[in-house]
Amino acid sequence: MKQGGHMDGVLTRRRFFEGLAAYGGVSLAMAGMDALGYGFASAQAAPPPLEGGGKGVKVVVLGAGLAGLTAAYELTKHGYEVQVLEARGFAGGRCQTARGGFRHVDLNGNDQTCQFDEGLYINHGPWRIPYHHRSTLHYTKLFGVPLESFVNDNDAAYVYFEKGEGPLKGKPVRKGEIAADARGHAAELIAKVAAKGGLDSAMTAEDRDLFVAYMVNEGRLSPTDFAYTGTDGRGFDVHPGAGVSPGPGKPSTPRSMADVLHSGAWRTLTSVAGYEQQRTMLQPIGGMDQVAKAFERKVGGLIRYSSVVETIRQDAKGVKIGYRDAFGEKAEISADYCICTIPLSVLRGVDLQASKPFKAAMEGVAYAPVNKIGLQMKRRFWEEDHFIYGGHIYNDMPGIGTISLPSTGWQSQKGVLLGYYAFGGEAAKISAKSPADRAAFAVAAGQKVFPEYADSFENAFSFCWHLAEFNLGGWAEWSDDGRKSAYPVLCEPDGRLYLAGEHLSYLGGWQAGAIESAWQQIGKLHARVRAA
Amino acid sequence: MLRNAIIAALAAAPLALGASAALAAPPTGQSLYADNCSACHQVTGKGVKGAFPALAGAPIVQGDGKLMAAVVINGRAGMPSFKDDLSDAELTGILNYVRGAWGNKGKPVSFADISSVRAQSNAKAKARGLQAH
Repeated sequence: MKQGGHMDGVLTRRRFFEGLAAYGGVSLAMAGMDALGYGFASAQAAPPPLEGGGKGVKVVVLGAGLAGLTAAYELTKHGYEVQVLEARGFAGGRCQTARGGFRHVDLNGNDQTCQFDEGLYINHGPWRIPYHHRSTLHYTKLFGVPLESFVNDNDAAYVYFEKGEGPLKGKPVRKGEIAADARGHAAELIAKVAAKGGLDSAMTAEDRDLFVAYMVNEGRLSPTDFAYTGTDGRGFDVHPGAGVSPGPGKPSTPRSMADVLHSGAWRTLTSVAGYEQQRTMLQPIGGMDQVAKAFERKVGGLIRYSSVVETIRQDAKGVKIGYRDAFGEKAEISADYCICTIPLSVLRGVDLQASKPFKAAMEGVAYAPVNKIGLQMKRRFWEEDHFIYGGHIYNDMPGIGTISLPSTGWQSQKGVLLGYYAFGGEAAKISAKSPADRAAFAVAAGQKVFPEYADSFENAFSFCWHLAEFNLGGWAEWSDDGRKSAYPVLCEPDGRLYLAGEHLSYLGGWQAGAIESAWQQIGKLHARVRAA
Repeated sequence: MLRNAIIAALAAAPLALGASAALAAPPTGQSLYADNCSACHQVTGKGVKGAFPALAGAPIVQGDGKLMAAVVINGRAGMPSFKDDLSDAELTGILNYVRGAWGNKGKPVSFADISSVRAQSNAKAKARGLQAH
């Protein structure tokens, strides 16, 4: 690979783009150029054009989650004959929303029917969309799914750390106070050292002044002595108002650097949000399943619901899928090709005809235990009593992960908040409890943060993705070894079988991963059909 | 009803806390198993057919202890990784419980075995981010 000279490199790149254009059209070639730094877009933004059409080639799609729905919609649009088998009685896969009447029976026999009041819901699957997931946003725009802001970070929200030390231990504190104090104290230390020339080895004398100015700005320091003595952004002890009382109000007093450090609450602070987690994100108005329902309006007629795949057979001529239909009867469906979006955790249990390396690769991935719980509160005390409008209560309580306040229905009477969002071993632990005990666990934790919590609680709906029969996990978790050895094998077709889903993307657990994986696989399938 | 039960539980919490603190003893392999594993593999070790494999009578839990440890530490084929959630001492307790429970006849694994698997797997516990998805 390394020996090629400059000219070889140029030719290789050109061939690469030509190859992309041949099966994916110009947009895919442009996405490829972008990936190599040629700068057209930040992510794959549009489906492959499937030029020339499918001319009635038959494709069976297994699973009506976002990968399957995407494949069905795009293939049908371009002249393929598509049928979809879906194990559940509704489309969407993990793109689900629980409202009053939504029923879920898990593998341990816990039978829950959501009791939320009219208009309230919890997105127990995906719940927020990053601005750069242009694939997801392609379909929300195309299908007219209205979006609203999702508050993914809120300085007014509390952080609660009970494992630290000092006066902030086990005390709800507004994130903005922690941010102001941690960064203010840090900036003060750095500014003072820099102003005395202590950092001169790292910068020019001219840059030193700019650097100190930046620290003053960053930490909201006094420009004269570089002291941090608090700042209005961390809030007031008495808020300013009219007249002479409260008049100018009473400023708040910063906490010491030591108190902030020992509390552990600084763990919630970073210079910038992570790639996947912006301060504000997007969510469909009325629940994430609006995305699934929009797809369903387009391709719902192609879906056979309550149809559980049992066998996948293939030969040189086509594929045969054996399944159990809604009446429990064995049935079969034949097609030229199969796009299988069944999670690998579930597909392992299906009688699948595939090559040995392919089946071995399927063993190379783990699935995450993931728990969520929606708690209906009779009063929006977080807004009314604490003035917190959306965002998360970051905490270090095991099994809770994140408590999240709804970014919808502001100032209405009731609300459903996310009582925990936990994954891994902590989630496995809590999932062994009955739904009533899970709710009790979540309410007891929230009570430590909000004194109104238990008293306001009305009912709960909990979901454990690893205990959901047709998921057996929240998302695929690839090890570094698995990514190297198993993942590339599964990204290629095995005979007439193409896998697609979040598990075959580097956007694992995101709807965009499912959509873009489907785009990629139908692009490959189409290139093969055109070449045949 | 559920709400009332929870309020009652909260009211009783200080008492319960005092009691459990007084009786604090390291959890046994059996209780660690019940806590961390039973949601899927069940307290009976029989698993859930078609979803979660039985551990009772399973060759993997009676064979090489290091192989078994590697599955629990790294995850595999649907089984999640527990490397960030369980210490080597806890893993030793759980594995030995499973290897001897329900008629299983696996030889015991040692703390050193578990630690060496963790080191080999380069599976040092690392802090998770605040958010995922």
